Amino acid sequence: MKVLKDFSNIFKRYDLDLEKTGKAKEISKDPALQKVAQLVVDGDEEGILAAVKDALKSKSPLEVINNALIAGMNEVSRLWDEGIYFLPQVILSSDAMNVGIAECEAKMGKAMDRKAKVVTHTAEGDIHDIGQVIVNALLNANGFDVINLGADVPVDKVVSACKEHRPVMVTGTALMTTTMTAFPKIAHQLKQAGLGIPFICGGGAVCEEYVTEYDLGIWGKEASQAPGMAEDALAGESWEAMRAKWNG
Amino acid sequence: MNAKERVMAVINHQKPDRMPCFGANSTVTYDQMEKVAAFWPEGHDKGEVMAKQAMAAYSVLGFDAVRVPFCQTFEAVALGCTRKPGRVRELEGVPGIEHPPPYKLDDTPVFPEDFLSRGFIPELLKAVSIVKKELGDEVAIVAGIIGPFTIAGSLLDSVPLLKATFKSPEKIRPFLDVGEKAGTALAKALIDAGADIISCEDMTASPELIAPKTYRDFELEYQKKQFDAISVPKILHICGNVDAIVEWMGQTGAEVLSLEPKASATLARGKCGPDVVLMGGVDTATTLFMKDAATVKQGCEESIADGIQILAPGCAVAPGTPTENLLAMVEVAKAH
Repeated sequence: MKVLKDFSNIFKRYDLDLEKTGKAKEISKDPALQKVAQLVVDGDEEGILAAVKDALKSKSPLEVINNALIAGMNEVSRLWDEGIYFLPQVILSSDAMNVGIAECEAKMGKAMDRKAKVVTHTAEGDIHDIGQVIVNALLNANGFDVINLGADVPVDKVVSACKEHRPVMVTGTALMTTTMTAFPKIAHQLKQAGLGIPFICGGGAVCEEYVTEYDLGIWGKEASQAPGMAEDALAGESWEAMRAKWNG
Repeated sequence: MNAKERVMAVINHQKPDRMPCFGANSTVTYDQMEKVAAFWPEGHDKGEVMAKQAMAAYSVLGFDAVRVPFCQTFEAVALGCTRKPGRVRELEGVPGIEHPPPYKLDDTPVFPEDFLSRGFIPELLKAVSIVKKELGDEVAIVAGIIGPFTIAGSLLDSVPLLKATFKSPEKIRPFLDVGEKAGTALAKALIDAGADIISCEDMTASPELIAPKTYRDFELEYQKKQFDAISVPKILHICGNVDAIVEWMGQTGAEVLSLEPKASATLARGKCGPDVVLMGGVDTATTLFMKDAATVKQGCEESIADGIQILAPGCAVAPGTPTENLLAMVEVAKAH
């Protein structure tokens, strides 16, 4: 009779190979910062406050923001890109990061300096109303001031937010075919108002050919492109130049 | 074979005279509305208008089944959500759910005794009985319900529900339970009204929104329970690429799985075995809505080569979709 020496596979569920496994990398050599970063990766919005307060005893608020909170979120973005993390985990991490940033800002006595404003929204009528959550988290983690209009946003509200905030870029997410038709309407009204803002459109139902049919439209294939696109917009690139670079 | 016989033959593993073509999700378009002189928003809340629009799938397109309803709000509204009303063509209005939702995670959701007489459900049942009376012998009647996880998403809002799947997953069970009861009760009433097939849409259970293990450890149990209680054939439709969960979708008891082209029919066949019937076709946004008939035909042929047995739009048809693209699907089906 064959004697089994290695039992490790006996208790391994055969179906788990469908889910990739992977671990977060170490983010900081400093134990206090590493703890904060790990709590972002874990999406622990209750536990993170104490860890941030602890880190602030020895570090400046900006160090905690940049080297722990944002660095942690960038690691979450990597885990998402690699298919290890799923959407609920990204939402939890983003919330944890925001709790930490709020505490650091309270310590600084002012909001952290942001590079520029970006308006984000999900199209009106969309029931898959969370597509933009990752875009918000990544833009936030990369130092942009996200004006989050949320889900199910009518055309007029997007246009008036752009008039009010003068963002460098505006994004729209739609996961349903029935809702993406709002995008050309938004683009048209922005142009009429003299706002030639690059308008990044993406999400499940949205394809490149559709978005590049209207002025201002740039197709966003992956949420992870959003920070790079926002940097281009901040550098003053026109929507035409951005479309040439990111699409086609 | 007439349309109904053709559909039932495939589901019962008998040989049809040709491949059937119909939708697991809404197939209504503005073009069809014009042709049958029945319009939105009335088609979402008046039984007579809903029936007229559904029957256009047969009379205008030549699909082998007709399908009601055209939005995902019926159970949620009867459970206490507020419907954002549908609107006319220019405003692109399919009804949705108003914010804020009726419940928070720590609440206990209630399944009302008079569920079937609440909201717009009586009108949906009326639509099915009208279609049954007019076309019941000729064409299969597909009636839609919403999956437990998606109903839970309407009761709680998607973001709190998604967060709970990792933070406090046990708290979502009462909501899945009520969602299951609602869909099952509606399915039984739809069958009594004349439905031949129940199509369950469960958008929020997609791996694009939740982790595959959440589907396996939570939704699967409720879906099994629900399908076990439904006496007619069931179609399960989950949006997006479902490769990571298709094996478990095959364990729900659904006779038919409806797949978007992002998901692999070959993989589904391998994971679910020979008995499950696979339905699907081209992407409703990037192909059916955007491209021409020739591209639609080519995409349909690719889906069939991948193992699809019932040709269908990959998901809900965009209402602006050109009629000729839908007719192209029927043409492909007729050649198989």
